[in-house]
Amino acid sequence: MKTEKVIISFIAVVIGIFAAATAFYFYQTTKVIPESETKTLSLSPSPKPSPKATIFLTLDTPKDEEVTDKKTVSVSGTTTPETVVIVSANTNDQVLTPSSNGKFSTTVILENGQNELTILAIAPGGEEEKVIKTVTVSTETF
Amino acid sequence: MKKYIILFIFLFTTFSARVYALTPTEVPEKTPAESQINKLKDRIASRVAELKLVERRGIIGTVDEVTNTQITLTDLQNAVRFVDVDELTKFSSPSAKGTFGISDIAKGQKLGVLGLYNKQSRRLLARFVDVLTIPKIFHGVVTGVASDTFSLNVTTDKEKFLVDVQTTTKTSSYTNGGGLVKSGFSKIKPGQRIMIAGFYDIKDKTKIIPTRIIIFPELPKNPTITIPASQEVKVASASATPNAKKTNN
Repeated sequence: MKTEKVIISFIAVVIGIFAAATAFYFYQTTKVIPESETKTLSLSPSPKPSPKATIFLTLDTPKDEEVTDKKTVSVSGTTTPETVVIVSANTNDQVLTPSSNGKFSTTVILENGQNELTILAIAPGGEEEKVIKTVTVSTETF
Repeated sequence: MKKYIILFIFLFTTFSARVYALTPTEVPEKTPAESQINKLKDRIASRVAELKLVERRGIIGTVDEVTNTQITLTDLQNAVRFVDVDELTKFSSPSAKGTFGISDIAKGQKLGVLGLYNKQSRRLLARFVDVLTIPKIFHGVVTGVASDTFSLNVTTDKEKFLVDVQTTTKTSSYTNGGGLVKSGFSKIKPGQRIMIAGFYDIKDKTKIIPTRIIIFPELPKNPTITIPASQEVKVASASATPNAKKTNN
């Protein structure tokens, strides 16, 4: 008797769930959204891919915001071959041509205190890539 | 009754927390020497951690805001930097006639700060703050030359300005074959790529007072710089003093 009751209850629950789901489905399919509440979504065509960079510049040394007690610093890095690299410090400039693999290196004379080093690579087509570093010369201990 | 017992057992096994028996470990009493060694170890460890966290750094930036204990700067990478100032911080300015302190620092000044940078808080505890007078580097194209006033019109990718060439301005020229050689004002032609190291005029921010000039006759201009066709051969109308005695370098 008890087993029968349990089975009947289970079947009743399943039928109930099925009936509720069917009713909800019909409610959703027959639902009408007024035009005032509809929004038009316009999709713009996919953006154009950015043009491939013709030049790059990465510096190995010096480290930005570096503090040194020496009056010179080595500036080295890599850029696109066939570019011209201009290294400008507070009081002097140097123009370099990198090797065939794009490596370049030079020694820059520094002033006491903060030095702003601007390194600019110029491609044969005129495109530029710039990196700015700060190097401080100080013998102070703190 | 049976039902309640089953329910009780179910709830008890599901929601009860486990408790472990704990027997206290006997800690041997430390001798005074041992406790001192431990204290020293702790102090050394904390000092090592502190040294790893802090490093000496020097930055350059333009002042955004100043208070009695803090300077807010925009550095060369356009990042906002917070500089803490205390009683040990020393201030200097090349133009200062008497004493120079934090109250003399104004918005817009270019500062060099040397101090201890905390990697965790990303703040710089300043030890030396100096007002800087270092030239700004411009790369652009010559759009006009005025030989009578020794001035140039130059356009960069961001701005246009008048370059008032001085007798002290060092002019050089770079070519692939000849390298970097000394040159003069007469060699500068409209349309040439130019590098200028100089300062903005105090009264006129559209004018540059150059200390160094390099021209690159063989290199094309930056393609991002757009020059109106009418400007390309236009002769600059300089506002520089025409009577000033100037010579070519």
